[in-house]
Amino acid sequence: MTRLSGGVIDRSRTLSFTFDGQAYQGHPGDTLASALLANGVRLMGRSFKYHRPRGVLSAGSEEPNALVELRTGARREPNTRATVVELFDGLEAKSQNRWPSLSFDALAVNDLFAPFFAAGFYYKTFMWPKAFWEKVYEPAIRRAAGLGSLSMLPDPDAYDKGFLHCDLLVIGGGAAGLSAALTAARSGARVILADEDFRLGGRLLAESGPFTDQSVDAWIAGLEAEFASLPNLRVMRRTTVWGAYDHGIFAALERVADHLSTPGEGVRQTLWRITAKRAVLAAGATERHIPFANNDRPGIMLSGALRAYANRWAVRPAERVAIFTNNDDGHRTALDLRAKGVEVAAVVDSRAEAKVLGDYPLLAGALVTGSRGRLGLKAIRVAQHGRDQWIPCGALGVSGGWNPNVHLASHHRGRPVWDEAQQTFLPGEEGPPGLIPAGAAVGEGSTHAALMSGARAAVKALDALGIKASPPNLPEAEDRPLGLKPLWHVPGKARAWVDFQNDVTVKDIALAHQENMRPVEHLKRWTTLGMATDQGKTANVTALAVMAELTGKTIPETGTTIFRPPYTPVSLSALGGGNTGTHFRPRRLTPTHVWAEGRGAVFVEVGQWMRAQYFPRPGEKTWRETVDREVLATRAGVGICDVTTLGKIDVQGKDAGAFLNRIYCNAMASLKVGMVRYGLMLREDGQAWDDGTCARLAEDQYVVTTTTAQAGPIYRHMEFCRQGLWPELDVQLISTTDAWAQLSVAGPQARVLLERIVDGFDLSNAAFPFMACGELTIAGGLRARLFRISFSGELAYEIAVPARYGAALMGRLVSLGADLGATPYGTEALGVLRIEKGHAAGNELNGQTTAQMLGMGRMVSVKKDSIGAVQSRREGMAADSRRLVGLVPVAATDPVVAGSHLFTEGAVHNTGTDQGWITSACYSPHVGSAIGLGFLTEGEARQGEVVIAANPLEGQAIRLRVVSPHFVDPEGGRLRV
Amino acid sequence: MSDLKPMTALGGADPVRLTLGALTLTENAELALASLALRRDTIVGSGRPIPLGLTLPDPGGWVGLEGVAAFWTGPGQWMIEAEEAAGGDFAALVKTAAPDCSVTEQTDAWVAFEITSSQGEGPLVGLLEKLANLDAALFRPGHATRTAIEHMSCYIIRRAEDRLAILGMRTLANSLWHTLTQAASRLQLAA
Repeated sequence: MTRLSGGVIDRSRTLSFTFDGQAYQGHPGDTLASALLANGVRLMGRSFKYHRPRGVLSAGSEEPNALVELRTGARREPNTRATVVELFDGLEAKSQNRWPSLSFDALAVNDLFAPFFAAGFYYKTFMWPKAFWEKVYEPAIRRAAGLGSLSMLPDPDAYDKGFLHCDLLVIGGGAAGLSAALTAARSGARVILADEDFRLGGRLLAESGPFTDQSVDAWIAGLEAEFASLPNLRVMRRTTVWGAYDHGIFAALERVADHLSTPGEGVRQTLWRITAKRAVLAAGATERHIPFANNDRPGIMLSGALRAYANRWAVRPAERVAIFTNNDDGHRTALDLRAKGVEVAAVVDSRAEAKVLGDYPLLAGALVTGSRGRLGLKAIRVAQHGRDQWIPCGALGVSGGWNPNVHLASHHRGRPVWDEAQQTFLPGEEGPPGLIPAGAAVGEGSTHAALMSGARAAVKALDALGIKASPPNLPEAEDRPLGLKPLWHVPGKARAWVDFQNDVTVKDIALAHQENMRPVEHLKRWTTLGMATDQGKTANVTALAVMAELTGKTIPETGTTIFRPPYTPVSLSALGGGNTGTHFRPRRLTPTHVWAEGRGAVFVEVGQWMRAQYFPRPGEKTWRETVDREVLATRAGVGICDVTTLGKIDVQGKDAGAFLNRIYCNAMASLKVGMVRYGLMLREDGQAWDDGTCARLAEDQYVVTTTTAQAGPIYRHMEFCRQGLWPELDVQLISTTDAWAQLSVAGPQARVLLERIVDGFDLSNAAFPFMACGELTIAGGLRARLFRISFSGELAYEIAVPARYGAALMGRLVSLGADLGATPYGTEALGVLRIEKGHAAGNELNGQTTAQMLGMGRMVSVKKDSIGAVQSRREGMAADSRRLVGLVPVAATDPVVAGSHLFTEGAVHNTGTDQGWITSACYSPHVGSAIGLGFLTEGEARQGEVVIAANPLEGQAIRLRVVSPHFVDPEGGRLRV
Repeated sequence: MSDLKPMTALGGADPVRLTLGALTLTENAELALASLALRRDTIVGSGRPIPLGLTLPDPGGWVGLEGVAAFWTGPGQWMIEAEEAAGGDFAALVKTAAPDCSVTEQTDAWVAFEITSSQGEGPLVGLLEKLANLDAALFRPGHATRTAIEHMSCYIIRRAEDRLAILGMRTLANSLWHTLTQAASRLQLAA
């Protein structure tokens, strides 16, 4: 262990973990990165393209290099940043993108061929032969270049989501964020403070003595105690606010159990949607490095990270350390390390006027121009006054200044603005409304400035809400200027890395410039700069500066790429909201679902519904056998089917009839009380939309039924018409789909069966004819509604009872009708029965058909106006001669395939000769062969003709005879007996 | 009286009741519901009716008297509730009480879950935060709203400091029950 004194780690406890199978130890408070460094492990990964050895660069979520595969088995998570993994006992991590081992990686040979792998190389190199791209080149490139690999097993953990609301959301728990949260919480406002770290404090934890009047530990401990006592403040640790969305909505990921070996029964992560009236962005800043030759060796880090590891985690990064800087912040690292007893070999400062601030060697006006060390830094080459020297050191801290974390402020396409004085981008004015940046995120990065800025931002944000707040007493803090003098890269011939994660060098940017990929968006795509898990947090601004230098433009003229959520990676499991398997989406169960389960029914998904598809009986070997039996039993005796899924809408009011006249293309106002009428609705463009029935229960009350699929859309449409188009009409609507269980009782014995259950209701043909409806009681007083309508072509009724009685009614009907052959049937038989009868359903009402095509052209009333009626008379629509026809195979054993297109026999098969298509097909036990319905050009006049049903995908061309679409009882006599 | 046996929305003979930590969830199978909507001439002209003694609440509101209650569901529209009345024809009763309104039976259109907390409002707020995008802390007793829970359209009613009701579509009862009990059990685990 190479621990220093101090730090915010609990040395009283030891945690064991492994990296690449080797056992190590750390302490609570460690991250995986700090624990590895404390154990002397500098080499943590291999680079994306060249497989170069890489160590940790940063101490936070911006980390591009130290990506590991965390955990094992189904919980293995690739590309996890070691810098944000909170150490737990038993943690297992592996390096990735290397073979056979991290220290010897065969694919490091790529590095030798680097000249062939320059920016855009795969666009240029793998051009020939063309066919090789998909099968050979791309798979090979994907294997060679990349990050970690997935377990390919289902995620075993639970994920959750939730919704929070507040007056003020404070994003970030560093100096500015804590100050903002304290200010706001004391005002009584409802505040949420979210921070991605597991400990509040942000950069305060990484600095030595940022306060001059008290210790950071004491201040934070006091805050924590006060925060805990404030019910109006919610502190969310381990929570990253990763996206800003419309209307003050922020997305946040809370890592509930990522710091545990497993979540156990609890959830692993929670995705929060936070609605905030105002927000303070106190996301801090990310330090930038300075590209120089071979600047990517393990041991070369950001200077602030080096300081953080020493101060917060008591990690001695190496025996001998050097600093490369263009500002005073690098000197702070040297001072802190020196104070902790680490030898500082040199502070290499590019500023000629740099002054030494303590007891360490300063090389002013000098540059780091190279490095040595195959698997870790051994020495740096320094050029000063025209002379080169090698300085041995095990770690180098690089400080090129700080980039404010403007990401969330830039999510609404808000462009950051360049600040010439600070040489950095600051949040622009056009970011998410109500979001106020503070602290280092807005360039106020000294501890004093950050504290004051946070308090000011909170006061301003709350003032806009009418809440008075005043800044609290804040600690006295350092307020040193950076004194930065820009240095974007050290010129040289060797490769100098800009984007570590994507292996993009200064040379790559120069090549992009040479190849005219100069706009930043082109630069990004050509070089892959700023992509992948870190999204260029440590690279983008430096790359822009390099491009600006090459083009001779300023940095603001060069511009930035678009910032998009997420700020840091979010697992798809969390984004998915946590529901998988059965509960992936809600399931609607019919009132007879439990009963059908008891009968061994097979179910089918119909939208959200689960419907009984068929009811197999012992001995039936295929579904067809079952369905044929159900169909024949219905036509011979009586079948019962749950049709609750059809939409039911209660329409009341003085103008209900007039309203329905406008909704349906046929007349409904003239319908007599106690009768039902088939109705067709058209879309605004005149195409057929939905069909159903309309039952008039009273002068001022109708019940409309819709198809199952359109129940929601039709209800919405009717509400729109009522509220938006014709508010002057007296109409009230409400859905009653779920309220009533509705069963279809169909077949020649339907009346006999129903007579056994109604309470003295006269079901005779004279008293209750075809298309009658009425309210009655059944089974000794249960309220019910009865409709004499038929989808099967048989004598049929639909009976509705309060939904809670649906299963009981189904059971009663089946048992009472045993001697009549009463048979429950499912959606398959329902489909066969309606195809045999030639009834249109969803297959026919697919948005491409007109009333005329359905044979219902005359239903579009000319005596009144209705939605779609005028448009349905358009020349082009009126001229469409395709009509619904029935189709049977010429050879009885041939299939009829829905979706096949119809052609005149002998014609070539192309879109020009297309004569229509098959909409529905089934095996008809009544006909004894497959049958189909379809739309055919001049269909009415072609009965008896043989046409070809072409199914080019399967190479099929089947001869079908055109027949009436009514395979059963074309005169409709059975309905009316 | 009919001898047909009713089935609860969750598919059982008896309502389900489950206690998870501080929260107890009960399927309220005997809650009768009827929708009451004003006719156009009522909206334009005279004031609202006072069915069963209920002063119909404004948008977002719920009022409860002994055994009966009402909550706002839309412009000029309310749901009227009655405890222990699901077996009868509650809509007919409401129609008698408000003959000039459109009344529609809604008893079996919904499943009602009553949720009580043994530890004050905290657990209820915690539950709501996981269920629906509404500001749980401002959703006080006397408030009712229609919102989505896991893609399911629901009414949420704050009946009292320690009591919520969630009404969902009856055919979605099982999915809603799963959602509610999962959220409650996770709160229990986290407590």
